[in-house]
Amino acid sequence: MPHVVRFVENTITFPYVRSLGPVTGAFMTALTDKRILGIRNGDAVLCPPMEWDPATGAELPHDLVEVGPAGTVESWTWVPEPTLQHPLDHPFAFAFIRLDGASTPLLYAVDAGSPDAMSEGMRVAPRWKGERIGHLTDIVAFVPGEEPEVDGEDLGPASEPVELMDYLASITYRNPVPPTSDLVVEASREHRLVGFLCPECGKTYIGGRGVCPIDSLEFGAEHAIDLPHTGTLTNHVVITPVPYPGQTETEPFGRVFIALDGSDATLGYQPIVDMSVDDIRVGMRMKAVWAPADEAVEDGGGMGGAYGALIGWTPSGEPDVDDPDLVNRIF
Amino acid sequence: MAISDDIAVVGWAQTPMVRHTDLSEVQLLLRVITDAIEPLGLTRADIDFTCLGSCDYITGQAFSFVGNLDAIGAWPPKRDSHVEMDGAWALYEAWLRLQEGDIDIAVVTGSGRSSTGDPALIYPMEMDPYFLAPIGADPVTFAALQARAAIKAGIADERAMAEVAVRARGKGEVDELLKGDYVREPLRRHDLPPITDGAAAMVLARGDRARELVERPAYITGFDHRTECHNPSFRALDDSPSTRIAAEAAGLGKAPVELAELQAAFTHEELLLRSVLGLSDEVKVNPSGGALKENPIMASGLCRIGYAADHIFGGGNRALAHSTSGPCLQQNLICILEGRS
Amino acid sequence: MIPAAVVGVGQTHHKSKRRDVSFGGLVREAVFRALDDAQMTMADIDAVIIGKAPDLFEGVMKPELYLSDALGAVGKPMFRVHTAGSVGGTTGIVAASHVQTGKHTTVLAVAFEKQSEGNAQFALGSGKGASLGAGGSFAPFIRSYIHRSGAPEHIGWKVAVKDRQNALKNPYAHLKLQDISIEKVKESPMMWEPIRFLESCPSSDGACALVITDEDGGKAAAAAGRPPAWILGTSSRSEPPAFPGRDPVRPQACLTCAEDVYAQAGITRPREQIDMAELYVPFSWHEPMWLESHHLADEGEGWKLTDAGETEITGSMPINCSGGVLSSNPIGASGLLRFAEAALQVRGMAGEHQVEGCRTALGMAYGANSQYFSMWVVANSLQPFG
Repeated sequence: MPHVVRFVENTITFPYVRSLGPVTGAFMTALTDKRILGIRNGDAVLCPPMEWDPATGAELPHDLVEVGPAGTVESWTWVPEPTLQHPLDHPFAFAFIRLDGASTPLLYAVDAGSPDAMSEGMRVAPRWKGERIGHLTDIVAFVPGEEPEVDGEDLGPASEPVELMDYLASITYRNPVPPTSDLVVEASREHRLVGFLCPECGKTYIGGRGVCPIDSLEFGAEHAIDLPHTGTLTNHVVITPVPYPGQTETEPFGRVFIALDGSDATLGYQPIVDMSVDDIRVGMRMKAVWAPADEAVEDGGGMGGAYGALIGWTPSGEPDVDDPDLVNRIF
Repeated sequence: MAISDDIAVVGWAQTPMVRHTDLSEVQLLLRVITDAIEPLGLTRADIDFTCLGSCDYITGQAFSFVGNLDAIGAWPPKRDSHVEMDGAWALYEAWLRLQEGDIDIAVVTGSGRSSTGDPALIYPMEMDPYFLAPIGADPVTFAALQARAAIKAGIADERAMAEVAVRARGKGEVDELLKGDYVREPLRRHDLPPITDGAAAMVLARGDRARELVERPAYITGFDHRTECHNPSFRALDDSPSTRIAAEAAGLGKAPVELAELQAAFTHEELLLRSVLGLSDEVKVNPSGGALKENPIMASGLCRIGYAADHIFGGGNRALAHSTSGPCLQQNLICILEGRS
Repeated sequence: MIPAAVVGVGQTHHKSKRRDVSFGGLVREAVFRALDDAQMTMADIDAVIIGKAPDLFEGVMKPELYLSDALGAVGKPMFRVHTAGSVGGTTGIVAASHVQTGKHTTVLAVAFEKQSEGNAQFALGSGKGASLGAGGSFAPFIRSYIHRSGAPEHIGWKVAVKDRQNALKNPYAHLKLQDISIEKVKESPMMWEPIRFLESCPSSDGACALVITDEDGGKAAAAAGRPPAWILGTSSRSEPPAFPGRDPVRPQACLTCAEDVYAQAGITRPREQIDMAELYVPFSWHEPMWLESHHLADEGEGWKLTDAGETEITGSMPINCSGGVLSSNPIGASGLLRFAEAALQVRGMAGEHQVEGCRTALGMAYGANSQYFSMWVVANSLQPFG
């Protein structure tokens, strides 16, 4: 039966914090005061304001001027199905809005209700959030008309200049799991450690790597070989964890390298099980530790690591191998 | 020292271009590199320089391109580089490298899978971080605004755009298509590119080596790329000045081209680029179907160069290929290929 | 090939968080310093080559697009390279190539990282828990080096002290550890056993820019009393991440890359003919390791050079007089900073951290799991060996 490729979803989320610099900072601060700023560029006024002249890259003096609040729609397009990142969650128009006094248009949402209400040349004004933090979305949207509006209670301008901006980036990816990875993960459920033997160079590749990088040969099931579950600890690292979004560790944790018995394959960055980081020694005899058959398994990391039902390695109880040079066996 | 025009594309290959691939990027690259070099009787050991074009954000993993090294045969260690750009720019780097005169064969790739994530959510991240990314300003919105500008300037209209779509895909009826709903007025579904997964690899060779490998190398006689300012608010969207400058610097004006492969992901872009490049009606534009038919992100531009090279391999004399990056054609690359008698 | 020269060098004041500047502001700071040094303006630049490490660090995808106008690149070619940690080096090499091939007369090479906007450990682990971090990947290599060479444990501490003391002489360096000492390093927290906190690079925001021009431009600068750094050779090599038997301690890609760049520069005795080197040393033990794989010391002997003080500014093989990556590490820029510092040395413009009489210098960067290598050799003349 042909292998059906499995897909895994992976969401990378991070709360970036951006420093705005003097010009964008002034713009964002002014937003909290329900003012929109542009910057002079010779005879022109740029809005959104930039630190540099877009045409030449020359530094612009910080000659900020108020523009708008109302403006004219120069062009627009209707968004019938907004994305999660869009400023409104119901259909709206993205429009180039030339605020009064500005030479360039600002791109923003116009909450017109329907595309029939949109036209080039129409007048729009900002509808402000009552609570403003110094972010472009302090403007809820522009609305048809001349007069700005405020949503709810107007809590007034920021008490301090705004210098930073939050940006939560979250993208979800669906990536295929290469058949070789799946084969290895599947085998791990049966507590089998499977590698791939390259018919050209004779090297064994472990950890689900689907390619021999020396011969540029793609592995298939026909190259799979079962490997012993025992090996010798060669090298290691003990990592003191640092905090970051998504961090799972709080105590120093070990990652060891296992030279598998009777093979040129070395499994790198393997977790240790039922063992203290203080007990790690080169030459220790180790055996694989498997998750119970019915337990859900993960796919393993990109830089080595355990995978599938292979949880890690634990001392086998045999006497150490006396060969300090084993530490050189990393790959 | 003048730039040499004795460096040629001698072959290329692409993976099947599909809506959604089961293959990983490494698998795609492994196969397509083999497919590009094998017909030339080359092995990976013969490759002097590799340059890969790919984008971490499309793949969803920092350093994703490092794994791609497994596909190029980097043992013994290779002269190798990587650009976070379409393979067309990887070709540019390789072309420059071969100009140095000490090596003869380069392979470049472009790879990416756009089915992995939602372009509407990923592409805003390449926009101005303060004014555009935070409002999710997406590429179709920008394309629509440029389409409007092109229509206003008389360079495009919805009917002409639909005709481009029909020609590109070799199917459909203009009147039927025009009945469809707008996705982003004035753009309808048919005006937008497909989601395509795929990769391409191309072989570049210098001088006598090129002539040893194939009978009719496609010589690169002009190669240039230019950028514009980023924020579409500051640009005249009914024009593409960087395309014009790049084309001039690449020597488009020196002689007519028979064929032009333009990386126009949206129908109006093809009309706008045609107009900016001043292509006469005799020029065959996008006979491959272009990016409207298959749009493998980070390889789309390289494929344009590949199809242009095919025209030369098949006996044609002079062809133009174009690649682009960024919102509303912000950055543009022009490659001119010629055959010799 | 047309001889190319560095005629302008600029860098930012590297800090853990440059919150005083915007994204564009950070890069422009380095760019304007480089242009001023070259006595040029953006109008003199024909093309811009920009490099940085993964965009995941800042959450701005393809930043060359946003930065096009910030870098004065409108109407010009703008090119973005990315070769992991070696990217700064690759940026310099690709930029030089634009001039050496005759495609352009004067180009700007820029590399930067504003990584405080994100989190480097997060990005290195692609957002997953239990990230190894960079140190976690290299610790086993270092352990192997220590065993193979028989190096005593204090070598790593010595390098850590030397580089931070050098940094005190570099106005742009990030870490200014006035009271750095062997004791302090030895007692600092263990991070990735055996690598301690003070043996590790910081996380920095920073940018670096170089102006590279052709032979005529280099000669004109020299005639005007602004000596250029002539680029005698450039080289890059990559090797795969892993295969049984791979040696990441003495990587073949590094050995071959160094041999190539020396051959181009006419160097047959690197230990004597190279007057100083800026090597990418993010963890102290990389110094002895790289000395060996750059043929600046015999195999197993690199640590002896360090131990004898030969890699100090006043030593016979000065390494990282700028303070190196151990003192400033805006990841995308670090490679270009090595190339830039090498250029400053042969131009006699390294100020307090200048190596006296420096004619030739090697700049090196590496990336990923010691897989990507980029190097250049610069000199104060086109024929430094007569």
